[in-house]
Amino acid sequence: MYGLLGPNGAGKSTLMRILATLQEPDSGTVTLDDIDAIGQTHRIRETLGYLPQEFGVYPKVRADELLAHFAVLKGIINRRERNEVVEGLLRQVNLWDARGKLLGGYSGGMKQRFGVAVALLGNPRLLIVDEPTAGLDPAERVRFLNLLSELGENSVVILSTHIVDDVSELCTRMAIINKGTILLETEPLAAVAALQGTIWRRVVPRAELERLEQEHAVISTKLLFGRTVVHVHSSSSPGREFECVAADLEDVYFTTMAGRFHDGAAREQAVAE
Amino acid sequence: MRTFREIFRFECAYQLRRPATWLYAALLLGMTILFAGKVSIPKARAVGFYFNSSIITAEVTLIGSLLSLLVAAALAGSAGARDVQTRMDPLLHTTRLTKTAYLGGRFLAVFVMTALVQLAVPCGLLIVTLLSGLEPALSGPFRPTIYLSAYWMLAVPNAFAASALMFSVTVLSRRAIASLLGALFLCFTAVLSWQLLAATLGRWTLAECLDPMGLTVLSELARRWTPAEKGALIVGLQPILVLNRLLWLCASGVLLVVTTLRFRFAHSTGTASARRSPHPRPLTPLAREAPIRVPSVVRTFGFTTRFRQLVSISWASCRSILRGPPALLVVLPGVIFVLSGESLMQHLGTRLVPTTGLVTSILVNPADVYLWIAPLFLVVLYAGELVWRERDIGMSQLGDAAPVPEWINFSGRLCGLCLVLMALQLAMTVAGIVQQLMMGYHHVELGLYVRILFGLQLSRYVLFAMLAIVVHIVVNEKYVAHVVVILAYLATVFAPSVGVEHHMLVYGSAPGWTYSDMEGFGTSLRPVLSFMAYWSAWALLFAVVGALLWVRGPDDSLRARLKGARRRLSRTAAATAMTSVALVLAMGGFVFYNTNVLHAYQSTSDVLQAGADYERRYARFADLPQPHLDQVALDVEIFPDRPSARLRGIYHLVNRSSASIDSLHFVPSADVETSGVTFDRPAQLVLADSVLRYRIYALATPLQPGDSLQLGFTLRFVPRGFSNDGATSAASYNGTYISSEQLPIIGYARDRELSGEGERRIHGLGPRRPESAGLWIDGMGTSGRVSVSTVIATQSGQVAVAPGSLRRSYVRGTRRYFEYATAAPIRNDYAIYSAAYAVSEGEWRDSTSLGRAPVRIQVLYHPGHGRNVARAMASVRSSLDYMSREFGPYPHSEIRLIERPGDGIVLHSAPINIWFQEGFSLLAPRSDSSALDQVFAVVAHEVAHQWWGNTVTPAAIKGQALLTESLAWYSALNIVERERGSDELARLLAVMREAYLTPQSRAAPPLLQASSYSSVYRKGLFAMFALREYLGAERVNMALRRLVATYGDGRHPLATSQDLYRELLAVAPDSLRPLVADLFATNTYWELAATRAVAEPAENGQWRVTLDVTARKFVVDSSGAEVVQPMDDLVEVGISADSGSDSKPATLYRRAHRVGAGRQQFVITVPRKPSRAGIDPRSILIDVTSADNMIDVTFPSVIAARRSGGGRR
Repeated sequence: MYGLLGPNGAGKSTLMRILATLQEPDSGTVTLDDIDAIGQTHRIRETLGYLPQEFGVYPKVRADELLAHFAVLKGIINRRERNEVVEGLLRQVNLWDARGKLLGGYSGGMKQRFGVAVALLGNPRLLIVDEPTAGLDPAERVRFLNLLSELGENSVVILSTHIVDDVSELCTRMAIINKGTILLETEPLAAVAALQGTIWRRVVPRAELERLEQEHAVISTKLLFGRTVVHVHSSSSPGREFECVAADLEDVYFTTMAGRFHDGAAREQAVAE
Repeated sequence: MRTFREIFRFECAYQLRRPATWLYAALLLGMTILFAGKVSIPKARAVGFYFNSSIITAEVTLIGSLLSLLVAAALAGSAGARDVQTRMDPLLHTTRLTKTAYLGGRFLAVFVMTALVQLAVPCGLLIVTLLSGLEPALSGPFRPTIYLSAYWMLAVPNAFAASALMFSVTVLSRRAIASLLGALFLCFTAVLSWQLLAATLGRWTLAECLDPMGLTVLSELARRWTPAEKGALIVGLQPILVLNRLLWLCASGVLLVVTTLRFRFAHSTGTASARRSPHPRPLTPLAREAPIRVPSVVRTFGFTTRFRQLVSISWASCRSILRGPPALLVVLPGVIFVLSGESLMQHLGTRLVPTTGLVTSILVNPADVYLWIAPLFLVVLYAGELVWRERDIGMSQLGDAAPVPEWINFSGRLCGLCLVLMALQLAMTVAGIVQQLMMGYHHVELGLYVRILFGLQLSRYVLFAMLAIVVHIVVNEKYVAHVVVILAYLATVFAPSVGVEHHMLVYGSAPGWTYSDMEGFGTSLRPVLSFMAYWSAWALLFAVVGALLWVRGPDDSLRARLKGARRRLSRTAAATAMTSVALVLAMGGFVFYNTNVLHAYQSTSDVLQAGADYERRYARFADLPQPHLDQVALDVEIFPDRPSARLRGIYHLVNRSSASIDSLHFVPSADVETSGVTFDRPAQLVLADSVLRYRIYALATPLQPGDSLQLGFTLRFVPRGFSNDGATSAASYNGTYISSEQLPIIGYARDRELSGEGERRIHGLGPRRPESAGLWIDGMGTSGRVSVSTVIATQSGQVAVAPGSLRRSYVRGTRRYFEYATAAPIRNDYAIYSAAYAVSEGEWRDSTSLGRAPVRIQVLYHPGHGRNVARAMASVRSSLDYMSREFGPYPHSEIRLIERPGDGIVLHSAPINIWFQEGFSLLAPRSDSSALDQVFAVVAHEVAHQWWGNTVTPAAIKGQALLTESLAWYSALNIVERERGSDELARLLAVMREAYLTPQSRAAPPLLQASSYSSVYRKGLFAMFALREYLGAERVNMALRRLVATYGDGRHPLATSQDLYRELLAVAPDSLRPLVADLFATNTYWELAATRAVAEPAENGQWRVTLDVTARKFVVDSSGAEVVQPMDDLVEVGISADSGSDSKPATLYRRAHRVGAGRQQFVITVPRKPSRAGIDPRSILIDVTSADNMIDVTFPSVIAARRSGGGRR
């Protein structure tokens, strides 16, 4: 399970499309085991499951019909097996009861789950999911993440998201990218551990925010019950008003985006050695 | 108002920024220049009017307007559905924008942009006029009205109607494709009105109102206007067009109002099924469930998988098409056929037997535009839809990531489209069978349907579908590709008219094929299949290109795709490409070898050029004395199973001139290989022009006057592959026909000169020889008289026929021999036939001369085509009876009707042997006598030709057909009346008058110089009939008898129409001579109409009728100008009464009155209560609208009395 984290426009989807054989990189190589993913796209596609960030479906086709169509396209040609797979997947993504409806009548979440089912067809060895949880309600999201983690036991799953929790809940490795470059490539647990003791929190009135940003390395601000909560990255206590908090992946993300992660992480690593 | 302007401005700016808009204008400009330069200018040159005339401008404008339907569709689709498609509608629809401003602004922009794009047409026309260096004869004075009226009366109203319809359906359906369906609807309505309603069913006025594009109006004007009118009149100002425009403007306006009223800014509520269940069952929201195991399956990617993927994609594509409303297109042609089939399968009101051959020929006939336009639309529309569908709905990434090779994606969609086309053909087949059964015909030949509709026809569609899909892939811009596909289609249609005639150069084209009951496809199939194989090889190559450039992934730039193509070029792809190239070369080589090596390929212009060269080089020999053909001896070997034939001929030539002849000019036919020329005296070949086919032999000793010589030659009809026109050989499996036209001619042959005035002008030839010099009997013309003796050998199962009596017939081995000889010389027009005929025999005894042997009557027909034989036999007897009694004995001892392959209703009356095409056998006159027995009438016409044509042979100059066709019909009319009574005569005349239903120019030369079909076959008959009614049949026949007496021996000089005119004048009393002149010497028309007929009771139970009529007489000159004539003619006035429900009305009064021009009144007392009254009740005079001659009589006093009576009660 590999998480790809980055802000909007970071190049996540482009990278995902390149991995999913839909686009050719200007330079560089992609390999999966011994397969050259650029030159031998057909071999990649035979083991690929891809869930694009945004997609449509034929509006006037039933869900089970279209899924069966994709099953054929993905090489499941035995009718009995195909029916079993279609039924299993539709149940898995909780669309079994809605299988007879035309896809045009599906809600955004249902459509997303249908896409998941398409991606999972044929037990892909490589699963690329681009912002998969975007349209899902909380329950569905949990359900889907469970599914992914199950799949991750046997397959390579690459997940791109801008929701940090997705990665922290699922991924064993991750990368943070922005503007097409990888800022950080690490294991989430190690990254969080590396930041421990360097994240300081303070609740400030809005008016003071600007001053604070000039004085300290503010990595994130967010509102909590109408007040502003500021996280500051600092190896030592930035002041009395700050309290040291346990770092989480979100802090890793914002620290990285602020360009400060390397200092901390490098030092931590040095200490560990 | 502000918002309206802003919406309009933004939309225009948006469309102007798109390169596609400019591309459309450029394409339209290019099309205009190409069409005007390559089609319109030659047409103007050939017909003889200005290129910058209104009619040509209108024609090009309408073609541009039809093409612009696609532009309007693109614009309207974008303006009407863009917001919904880009999901911007919530942003826009929640502003303070009003519906009217939003829709009005958008619509106006669509309309204005569509109209602006069409400015390319007048621009293109002006460019051509100014820059193409037109000769002065073609460029008339510059008249801005022509361009303004074409633009404002044709292009702009069409753009308005198109924009209104397409925008409305798009806005209401919120789908862009709806606009294309609108385009389709307009085009279909226009074509259906024009082709079916007007041209086929004759409902011109209705069609002209219904046709939203104005095609029908233009078509009528093109038929009705004379060249002079075409040069002078303005299309846009014609009342019917103005009416049509108003009608469609109103309809469009109403549509726009309705659209505005029905449009809601509300969010679309989705599909119908979603609406049906507003409260879906809540889905189980459990986050934790026992995990459901998805069975793990083994996937394979071998051949089976590829096949299943192909099937799945094909099926999905096919279903996606058949689910939408355009699926109607699949069944529409079939429905139209079933609804109109009976009126399509009739000839002059007589039903045809709906054999499978006939039904399929209508279903695939390229002239029946409304039937094949459906597959065209299906391909144009759905090639794009299938290529773009996934991308349009955003599903492409799901499919693109699936392990499906590009060629499967490509061919799956192609197969899907093909399945739809197959469904279309299936629907057509079902429609054909339903129609056959509805008409009571049960011999359905399923195999023939399959071979024609699913073999020959479908393969053409598939080739086009392949091209269309590849164009969409390569162009990768939906609406532009639509335009390109249409242009590609038009290019194939118009290629021949711009001089690209070789089928190897026009994608998907092939020579035509023929099917007939007699010989099936005969030899016509092999050339078609060869060309199809050649084009299939090209299609395969296109397919490889399409698969390589198939768009996969979001980067669809050409650069990226070319890069991808290099990667996709696997060994298999390369091998396929190489194979297809090899096939193209192999099949192309094979076809080329056939068309250009085995046959000399000549384009139409080559043929015309050769005709001009022939005249220029050899016309100087036209007056050179040459020996006359006196006897012909033929020895013919026919091998129908190969099929081939060999003919050895000996001409017995006599010098009938007063000079000695020292050289012989020998002109072989173009269609056959002529060799083995021998003379019975020393002769030397001194000129051999193999290109123009002219040989001159110098005779060692000149042929003295009165002397004769024998000339032998051999013709070989051997199938040598095929030419660009298909297989052309006189020999056939069952229906060999070798005509005397294929035999060599002695002396310069005038009939090989170019005859059309336009083509003569183009090739710099003056008008043909002055007419007075045309009274020749040249050495070989069909007017000469020859004796023919023939020996024919054919396969033992077949019967061979030649002119004359059968002297001997015997079988030797597998060969059957026939020996024929003519007892009396015949006109030099004969043929050799061989086929497996059924023969029906009869005889007729000449009651006028008892000593003569009976005449044998033979009908030789294809077994199974015997349904009209008895009628034909009866007609031959009656006709011989009447003709020999009136015009002298029939000179031969047999007369034959011989069937030939071909679905035309065409007959030709050569001396003794009259041939008819199979189509004539399909006529099925009603068995009761309530409708015209067309078989009887037509056969009577052909038998009458034995006198009018074969006995009295006219000189080959203008007006000659008056002596053959008009007189033959006139005699047939008398025969019909004599045998079948006056009701049948009235029916025959009514059928003949149907010719007036088709709009046509009344400008024509007078009958004495007539040559057009409608003049000689129809108007000539009407004139003769009128004369008969005024002079009496006996007097007219007296004149005709004198013609036979003077010219019946076929010697010089030949008869002309002037001779007929002189005889007719001679039998007419002084009072009627002006009428004879009106009918024959000038192109006179009468306009007679009853305007009011009132009757009131008179004494003794009689009725007094007051009848108001108008009358007018005018001459239409050849430029179309009407010159009103003073009128003081005897015209019948008639009053009739109903007599019972279904019997015909009884004549109460009919008498000739002097009628002058203008309005006049007659008061006539009749013995019974009248019902109808009017002038010229039997439509004797030449009146195009004879329906208004009679009107219903009204009874004002009776009505008044009844009213007052009712009040009392």
